[in-house]
Amino acid sequence: MRRSRGFSLAEVLVALAILAIVITTTIAMFAERTKRMREASETILAYQALSNEAEYWRRESFAQIDNPDNQTFKSDLDILAPLAPYTTAVKVENTRADIRNITLTIRWAHREAHLGVARADTGGSGLW
Amino acid sequence: MVASRRDRGYTLMEIVVVLAIFGVFLFIIVTLTSEMRRNEQKWPVNFFAHPEVGGVLARMRRDIYDSTSLPDNFETYTNGPDTLIVYTINQDGTAETVVWDFTKKGEVHRKAFKAALLSSEWIARGVPMFLATAQPMPSGQDAVRIRALDGSKLAIDEIIVPRPHA
Repeated sequence: MRRSRGFSLAEVLVALAILAIVITTTIAMFAERTKRMREASETILAYQALSNEAEYWRRESFAQIDNPDNQTFKSDLDILAPLAPYTTAVKVENTRADIRNITLTIRWAHREAHLGVARADTGGSGLW
Repeated sequence: MVASRRDRGYTLMEIVVVLAIFGVFLFIIVTLTSEMRRNEQKWPVNFFAHPEVGGVLARMRRDIYDSTSLPDNFETYTNGPDTLIVYTINQDGTAETVVWDFTKKGEVHRKAFKAALLSSEWIARGVPMFLATAQPMPSGQDAVRIRALDGSKLAIDEIIVPRPHA
């Protein structure tokens, strides 16, 4: 009778194998979820900072855009504190005499976020 | 006569094995929980997924984009980190003064005034602490910097620049 015989080695091993698969899958899912949540939080913070920085670059005088000493982030980056250590970069491309393409970049850990701003020389008419 | 399992009880080895498996489970749960807590402490809450906060930001953006001035005072209100006063244009072409009041913890009040009369009030509840400060821009134009805190962590930081009005 089963109750008095107990379980065979094969039965116990199969049960343990199923348990191991369930535990491993659960842990893997949890780790993936945590990673994705962290990446989403990072992305949200990075794009808030990039969006604020873009507001500055939209209002920079056209003549100052090409100045290499000026090509740094100007906005307050307090919101990026959880991403530390991070680096920032500003790249200005001169595609036409009256157009500048500005790419703002934040790099942290093994990730990076970019935001591009196109500026046209309005001749100082002061749209803003 | 052979005694049944219930009569014999469990051997020391059986109990040790059960406790060891239980210990492994406990270790996994504690590790995952502490990892969760560490993450929660490091990252601010994603308030953008919060409908009330989304509503506050959307209405505040509209008010600031369409504002023609940011008065220092209005009636009993004074512009400051916990109070934002904007003189804004409506869709029908009329103007109104809008006071964003962040003084009450967990609430944001949007009060719209026609002249000195309160014409509407909208309240968002269950929201974080907001701060509104003036943000000078390179063009010399005044912008508004909206921040929201999750405890001491900065969760929202948005610079909103009023649109030019001819």
